[in-house]
Amino acid sequence: MIKFLRPPGARPETDFASRCIRCGKCSQVCPYKSIKIAGLFDGVAIMGTPVVKAREVPCYLCMKCPPVCPSGALDRNLKQKADVRMGTARINKKECLAWQETLCRSCYQNCPLFDSAIRMDNELRPVVDEKKCVGCGICENVCPVDAAAITVEPGGARR
Amino acid sequence: MSRYSMYNYRKITQTLMLLLIVAIPVLNKKGIMAVTGSLYSMAFGPLLITDPLSGFQVIITTLALDSVLLLSLVIPVLLALLFGRVFCGWLCPQNTLSELFDFISEELKFKRLFHPQLSAKWRYGLLLLLLALTVGLRFPVANLISAPGTISVQVTKYVYEGTMGPEAGLVAVILVAEVFVVRRVWCNYICPVGGFLGIFRFKKTMKVVYREDAGHVCGRCLECVKACRLGLDPMAGKVYPLCHNCGDCISVCGEIKGNGKPLFFSMR
Repeated sequence: MIKFLRPPGARPETDFASRCIRCGKCSQVCPYKSIKIAGLFDGVAIMGTPVVKAREVPCYLCMKCPPVCPSGALDRNLKQKADVRMGTARINKKECLAWQETLCRSCYQNCPLFDSAIRMDNELRPVVDEKKCVGCGICENVCPVDAAAITVEPGGARR
Repeated sequence: MSRYSMYNYRKITQTLMLLLIVAIPVLNKKGIMAVTGSLYSMAFGPLLITDPLSGFQVIITTLALDSVLLLSLVIPVLLALLFGRVFCGWLCPQNTLSELFDFISEELKFKRLFHPQLSAKWRYGLLLLLLALTVGLRFPVANLISAPGTISVQVTKYVYEGTMGPEAGLVAVILVAEVFVVRRVWCNYICPVGGFLGIFRFKKTMKVVYREDAGHVCGRCLECVKACRLGLDPMAGKVYPLCHNCGDCISVCGEIKGNGKPLFFSMR
């Protein structure tokens, strides 16, 4: 299983790997430099493919990359942010400040699907709605805990 | 060489391609997206051009026909069918670098370790193996050793991420092997991209023809043999499918013989 996120619109991993020709176009059009090119040390099979490392730069869901894919590894028809499925955010309640009774709303406030993919339980603790979460990784990026207490598990990469 | 010979046009084209590979990511980074992509797949506005080998690998693994992908293969396939492997001879950045290093090592009279007989069969054998692996492993395996693709993607990676991956070392390995081990080993015996392009050939595809008759007089100066940066012998015929149609042999022949030259391009 791949340990990084794929760009929005990516087909399920096995299908993605056979369609992606490693041209790098999605990475070139990404205005936030979120999409990196995997190297040899990330694995021979994924070398040259696009990855998003959310803790470094998450995906801001500008939706510019899916239409440029020449081989359909990214679904070119994907337009709506809410339809993206790069993965699913998971909260480590033992590390999460809010769940450990310190006030923190970082992930909740920064989630692009505001008050939908992440909601506050009793106005205090964040809870992820797995059906709504698009897996963009913004929550993982803004989490103040060292080694983020909320991380996006890759996969389920399509509507 | 005269100022307007084909040789000079080719050098200009090769240089422009090197500049394009650098210009694309530099301009993209500034937000100018008129041209995007790499030598695996490039987009000039709405016009898409994809490396036929990359497209073929996707088709044989997914067994699906994506119309955008298929359309993007039309131009490179037509180019190869009409003019032969001019991509290799006129555009490929690896060929440009290899030619430069070949020129230097020939000038310095370097002796290579091995001198195997020129044959395209190694390249086709390797291509079949790579395609079998592609289907078996379900990802485009041949793209791991696509030199032009690697060069262009790694330049993008450098412009965007400030670093290159270790896979960029492929270019260095190729150049060292070509200078010290076997002359032009990559293009002549290994390259899967060129090998695949070589398949798109038929009777009327442009080719170098050597003809001696009343209108074409050969002085046996052997300058064409010396001019060939792939080490082929244009006078012996049978240079296909290795020949890149770069035209250097024809340029040098025209220099010496003028209109009566025995070497020329023919589409018949």
